[in-house]
Amino acid sequence: MFDQLDPRSPTPLYAQIANRLRVAIAAGELQPTAALPSVRQLATKLRVNPATVVQAYRDLEAEGFVEMRQGAGTFVREVPPQTRARERASQAAALVRKLLAEAGRLGVSLQELQAAIAEEIGVGTS
Amino acid sequence: MNGAIEIQQLYYRAGKTFEIKNLDLHVARGSIYGFLGPNGSGKTTTIRLVLGLLRPLAGRVTVLGRDILREAPRVLEHVGYVPEQPHLDPTLTVRETLRFQAAFYTTWDWPCAEQLIRQFELDERGTFGRLSKGQKGKVMTLLALAQRPELLVLDEPTDGLDPVVRRQMLSALLDYVSQRQATVFISSHLVHELERICDWIGVMDNGRLVIELPMERFKNGIKRLRVAGAPPGIASPPFALLAREHQNGALETWIVREWEPEMAEYFETIGASLHDVIDLDLEEGFVELLRTFRRPRS
Repeated sequence: MFDQLDPRSPTPLYAQIANRLRVAIAAGELQPTAALPSVRQLATKLRVNPATVVQAYRDLEAEGFVEMRQGAGTFVREVPPQTRARERASQAAALVRKLLAEAGRLGVSLQELQAAIAEEIGVGTS
Repeated sequence: MNGAIEIQQLYYRAGKTFEIKNLDLHVARGSIYGFLGPNGSGKTTTIRLVLGLLRPLAGRVTVLGRDILREAPRVLEHVGYVPEQPHLDPTLTVRETLRFQAAFYTTWDWPCAEQLIRQFELDERGTFGRLSKGQKGKVMTLLALAQRPELLVLDEPTDGLDPVVRRQMLSALLDYVSQRQATVFISSHLVHELERICDWIGVMDNGRLVIELPMERFKNGIKRLRVAGAPPGIASPPFALLAREHQNGALETWIVREWEPEMAEYFETIGASLHDVIDLDLEEGFVELLRTFRRPRS
């Protein structure tokens, strides 16, 4: 789940960690009531500052994705399907923004991009 | 101001050429502070001043709220130090080294030491002088952690070690920090390693502290801009312009600090256009910062 954390990215590590978890919850990979790793476990595993993990968990808690219970740990909350759908939509938008920015940098036109997407989807379903 | 380390207006001089001047440094409690700088910039000297091993000619060093020169033994009991070069008796075994060290610390934690011996896969009957470099590094880290310090001072702890050993040492360090909310002051050349773990960054060059900032501000604030059509002299830009370089073609490269996205509008006001804002990682930012610091614009 945390394979591609990039400490060199301008996106702060806590935001990257929170994002990975948000995606996993939206996709149903992490089910309600599932326990997240403890701050200590995750910081040691990812070799990041424990404060970074705490910040990620706090952000997720503020957004209603998880619940931090004092002394017990952090648990995935029951997230309404609309919220999960909204999260997937926002992930999709982020993917497209990234794609468009990269295409712009490479000088790929919108038509070329659309043609490539159509082709890939066609290949994928045929 | 009650940080884990407070240095105020410190002056130190060794020999005729090297000096540390006007050093102000602040390490907040609970932070992991990355201390960067090229070889010979004064990092190790600063660390020795922090530990009271050297005496400043002027200024004040406070560690864990106490004056280090007046109360060194009381302070150092709560400070774990991993020096660049091991200072241990090479003829003792690992077990003997641990017993020797344990005697100095009332806070020494044997269960923790035993656990780290297993985790680091150390042979406690091995003679320290005959251990590999990686094993020596692990013993030094173990000694610093098993004394349960409030502050860890690490001077290039992973320099020259292989990636497996470096990971083991960093994981043990982070595990300790998560349990104890200890403060870490760590100097390293391995900038990418610091990029993962630090929340504060201080950069030394030539005996002076060039910059001291929270990591996120450092990383997000330094950018490389690609600019066209800017007039030669520009008045008071909203960011700090570190360097401005012409290259072949119409675009100039600007290196700036304290950048915010809204500042893109500034370029219209001077009749220029901003073509690209390029993010720099910590290493690039560090290199650019030193390059421009050493060659100030007139």
